[in-house]
Amino acid sequence: MIDFKNVSKTYPNGTHALYNVSLSIDKGEFVFIVGASGAGKSTFLKLIMHEESPTSGEIVINGTETTRLRRSKVPYLRRHMGIVFQDFRLIEKMNVFDNVAFAMRAVGKPYSVIKSRVPYVLELVGLKDKMKNKPSELSGGEQQRVSLARALVNNPEIIIADEPTGNVDPEMSHEIIELLTEINAKGTTIIVVTHEHELVREFGKRVVVIDHGRVKSDASKAVDDYLGEADYADIPDYPDNVEVIPD
Amino acid sequence: MRGFGYLTKEGLKNVWSNRIMSIASICVLVSCLILTGIASLFSINIGKVVDSVGKTNETSVYIKKDYSQLEAVYIGKEIERLDNVESTTFLTKEEAMEQFKDLINDDALFAEMQGRDPLPDTVVVVMKDLSLYDQTVAQIKKIEGVDDINSHTELAKTLTDISNLVNAISFGITLALTIVSIFIIANTIRVTMYSRRFEISIMKSVGATNSFVRWPFLMEGMVIGFISSILATCGVGLLYEVIMTAIQQMLPIFVTIPIMDVIWYVAAAFAVSGVVIGFFGSLISIRKYLKMEGNEILGW
Repeated sequence: MIDFKNVSKTYPNGTHALYNVSLSIDKGEFVFIVGASGAGKSTFLKLIMHEESPTSGEIVINGTETTRLRRSKVPYLRRHMGIVFQDFRLIEKMNVFDNVAFAMRAVGKPYSVIKSRVPYVLELVGLKDKMKNKPSELSGGEQQRVSLARALVNNPEIIIADEPTGNVDPEMSHEIIELLTEINAKGTTIIVVTHEHELVREFGKRVVVIDHGRVKSDASKAVDDYLGEADYADIPDYPDNVEVIPD
Repeated sequence: MRGFGYLTKEGLKNVWSNRIMSIASICVLVSCLILTGIASLFSINIGKVVDSVGKTNETSVYIKKDYSQLEAVYIGKEIERLDNVESTTFLTKEEAMEQFKDLINDDALFAEMQGRDPLPDTVVVVMKDLSLYDQTVAQIKKIEGVDDINSHTELAKTLTDISNLVNAISFGITLALTIVSIFIIANTIRVTMYSRRFEISIMKSVGATNSFVRWPFLMEGMVIGFISSILATCGVGLLYEVIMTAIQQMLPIFVTIPIMDVIWYVAAAFAVSGVVIGFFGSLISIRKYLKMEGNEILGW
């Protein structure tokens, strides 16, 4: 489903964010992407979403080589994905229903479909009774669930969650990952970028550790390596020009 | 386009939620359209007068005031003998005054002028071939006793010169105001886009096409343009009446085109211009935002 082949990304200011990354994520997988701040996680997500293009290498998403994708085709690529942001990015003046419906309107779905789909998705995330509430009337966890509903509403094949638990309390963090696990069980590919090692450990999914722009390890429960004594023996030295960039 | 109604509604909402900037844009655009409209109508009216004057093949030859009426009649006969003269009509001072009275349509002014003997005996000349006008006028001027020649062609030329000058000045001002209007609208749309950057970033992240993102903002610009065109049409209608009434009082000869004969053309021209200016004003701002991605849109 997602294939990175020898992907490197250097920003115009000369900063190297990713260095020769090769990685495959299959359909229906649940993957945690972990790494220190500035390790290259956000660049990794931006490349998947085609917000950035790689400097070299090849990215294939759903059989489409995105590096050769025409600009006008990018929106259609993104319709395969649902994005959950750390800061929720809900529109304050809209109620919960409209925030979720907004994602459907943006891709031109008719209102007849919207009015049946949105309550269904809100029920999935446990917020059907708060459809009329404004985001400011919800807790952080609830807001993140609205954000998740918005990501889900167009029925994407991939959910990309960028630090989804960064602004919610630990209990709610657990619930959100639980919810993502349930969505994953229905066949949706989930990619979660997080700093929260406890959560990663607890859910026992595939963990990709990115460090200084490279994939340091990629295995189930690899977070133990990541958190324990670092073993860099199998990773070549970074070239001098690899710098750490802020996410 | 799917969701056209929704996007159009969003565009209208933008105009209202951003009303201070919208009003500023509308004011500038209305001024621009009114100025263009008045200048154009003035030019059309001058054109009409020039046309009618040009078609009137009559040249008034004034006889020196110290010549008697009989001598004046002889001068008229002498003019009639010229090759290019079709016919002549002799007007006495009194007849000329009567014609003038009809023309000025102002009894008080006419009473004041009585007794001053302002007009000479006049011979009205109709020529056979207007292309030989200048040579014929030169021949008439050589005749003893001819004081002056009032040429309608010269009047037509003067009016055309005035019309050209008005057109040139109004073109310059209109051009400047059009550019200002486009930039003010561009700025208005930029403010709207900034206040809705969150929505734009979400739209792009869920796969909205550029045309979908673009439409509400284009609609906002076009609505501003259209509202301006309606206000400008009303403004031009009122101003035209005031200006033309004033001109007619000063120059009764100046027969103006009734506003109702032209107002729908003015309205159509304004609607098209307003919408086009609004469209391009919006487009300038939108292009920049559509090139951005993700956090760049949010300025992070």
